[in-house]
Amino acid sequence: MGERWISSERRLGKHTVDGYLGRLLVVDLTAGRVAEEELNSEYARRFIGGSGLAARYTYDMIDADTDPLGPENPLIFMTGPLVGTQAPSCSRYVICARSPHTGLWGESNVGGFMGPQLRFAGYDGIVIKGRADEPVYLFVHDGEAELRDASQLWGLDTYGTQQAIRDELGERSVRAACIGPGGENLVKYAAVISDQGRAAGRSGMGAVMGSKKLKAVVCRGKGSVPLADKGAFETTAGEILALLKDDVSTQVLNQTGTSGSANMLSLSGNMPNRYFMAGEFDEVDNISGSTMAETIQVGTSGCFGCVVQCGRQVQITEGPYQLEETDGPEYETVSALGSLLLIDDLKAVSYLNYLCNALGLDTVSMGVTLGLAHYLYDEGILSSRDTDGLVLRWGDAEPVMRLIEMTGRREGFGDLLAEGNLSLARRFGVEDLAAQVHGLEIAMHDPRASAGVTLSYLTSPRGACHNKSDAYWLDMGRSLDDLGIGFTDRFEEEGKAALMVRHQDWRSAGDTLVSCLLVYPPSEALVAMLAAATGWGFTISDLLQVGERILNLKRALNIRWDWNPEHEKLPSLFMQPLTEGGTAGYVPDVEKLLTDYYQARAWDRKTGKPTREKLLELGLDEVAADLY
Amino acid sequence: MIDFGTDEWAKAFMEQINRSEAYAEAAKTWEGDFYFIIESEEHYPEPLHVYVDLWHGVCREAFAAADPSVKDPIFRMSGPLENWRRVIDKTLDPLQGLLTRQFKLQGDMVKIMRAVKAAQELVNCTALVPTKFPE
Repeated sequence: MGERWISSERRLGKHTVDGYLGRLLVVDLTAGRVAEEELNSEYARRFIGGSGLAARYTYDMIDADTDPLGPENPLIFMTGPLVGTQAPSCSRYVICARSPHTGLWGESNVGGFMGPQLRFAGYDGIVIKGRADEPVYLFVHDGEAELRDASQLWGLDTYGTQQAIRDELGERSVRAACIGPGGENLVKYAAVISDQGRAAGRSGMGAVMGSKKLKAVVCRGKGSVPLADKGAFETTAGEILALLKDDVSTQVLNQTGTSGSANMLSLSGNMPNRYFMAGEFDEVDNISGSTMAETIQVGTSGCFGCVVQCGRQVQITEGPYQLEETDGPEYETVSALGSLLLIDDLKAVSYLNYLCNALGLDTVSMGVTLGLAHYLYDEGILSSRDTDGLVLRWGDAEPVMRLIEMTGRREGFGDLLAEGNLSLARRFGVEDLAAQVHGLEIAMHDPRASAGVTLSYLTSPRGACHNKSDAYWLDMGRSLDDLGIGFTDRFEEEGKAALMVRHQDWRSAGDTLVSCLLVYPPSEALVAMLAAATGWGFTISDLLQVGERILNLKRALNIRWDWNPEHEKLPSLFMQPLTEGGTAGYVPDVEKLLTDYYQARAWDRKTGKPTREKLLELGLDEVAADLY
Repeated sequence: MIDFGTDEWAKAFMEQINRSEAYAEAAKTWEGDFYFIIESEEHYPEPLHVYVDLWHGVCREAFAAADPSVKDPIFRMSGPLENWRRVIDKTLDPLQGLLTRQFKLQGDMVKIMRAVKAAQELVNCTALVPTKFPE
């Protein structure tokens, strides 16, 4: 295919709702057509933005048979009303679709500058349907959009892709969200990478892009975000900024990154190691953020409008893992590709992280799948005959490097690894050893370290997700007192479910903005910023209800798809207590936690459905009509 | 019982630290002195400063500083009495307290974030001091 330019059909002028550009870009890859659509202001009011707004649009476009890797699966890039503003740490964007990895709701949000650039280019979000005949990329710039030939980019890794696009367009300021070989080869947990090495990793959005032959979405704009009350907005944003600058956790994240907490998380039994089979990792300091800061770190990086700058820039100039300056691993990766495999060489972990980013793979799912492979090998269930001759040893990074490459390219044993942890376990008849819930690999917080984390994994819309309630922080005392979400002991199960429901609702609301989990602006201030941006007189209660509405909607989407109440459990792997470390002796009472949770949610425990009354209370009449 | 934050309390704390084999092991590479600061409130019109010099698993010096300018430690950790009390009661980990805005810290974050075990053992030492808090 030669170069193809298709201008969007512009219909709209001024924005219709403050805080929003008022426009979505709608791309039909099958027809090669790009058009604009007015933002549904009613949806915006009820679901605000981010994955909530994307879920509402998705609800209109899917049915039970929507193939996650088929052209009919809509892929949505969405921002929120604070993205691209001065609101601190609220400029992420989210990518949503039915997940090819779980068959359920998929979403993954990521920071950097891509989200703001999409807004500056004139759009709140992009809805992508269909499938291109040949590889294409979408270029969105200053109210225009075009599909361009990407055949020359197909096969490139994500770093090469971003560079090639910058070169082709002759603009250094463009931001590209792209896939690597992992997405092209439909690895079930393929990531979308933007801003060099920032990954929208979880739930396989990269595979959805690959299935559509969409190599990248590229944005550049010079516009701005319309605010209802600019003065009030700037005042509140300034107050939050001052607070964050004075915050010790900001300073810790700035100096040590997210993996600065590794020692503490390991001591508490939160940070998994040896495929969740052992307690504390004695060598944790070798891969901690403190060690990174003192050894291979050469700088920091951050997202648009963020004072934290938690991103690490690392460089390795000698030895087998040489890297030019690139993004260093964050906590989840340090654990998934480090402690989980007993790799205590930070240079090796950094290189493995680089490989995953370049190939476009989710480091968590990759690490957990590799962890199971190592365990099975150790137990003699797997042998080198299964692994194309590779010998898997705990702590040995060399074969892991090769396996990651093979996974990204679906070569040999890598083709099986590309299907994920649960598929690997099923293949060898050990499904209960799969570290997953609803097919999504468990993140790097052991559910035995916290009753709250257990509930979060069990009930998150996308499977074993650690971000729909970051209960591990709550357990540490990072309470949200202004929301009535106080501190309780991490092993305490009584009353935990009601607390988690509220915490999930708040996090769900935060996802609409699309805000970062690492900073905790006062809740009132966050609501004030939203009010100043949109002119809507939201209260904290209103925002909590938006969060609840969205979680109910996502549950309804999952009910329509493959959600199965029998899968709402922890694998037996986690029903055995560890004998040492910070969680020794504790196994969560899953039945009690879930029973309490369903009661607190007003959901039916047997079917998993929200009750009709709850749906009506939340204004989800259309969903109630579909489910009942 | 010894009144919290007094010179007598600081000396008793030092004694417990130097008796602790677990602390000696956990902090064998630690080098750094502190002001632990109890912020002014109802019971304390002025902030209390407890100086503790920790070096390679032992406490070399500890006292309550009436004049904080007598020392210039590399770490200054401050918080309200209530939070210090929770640390000593072992209901709040001091590093978690830092990360959750319950304490403030001036000093090298890189160094402090890897000192989790040493911090835990220090807390164990404080728990052995028969402490009386103002009511």
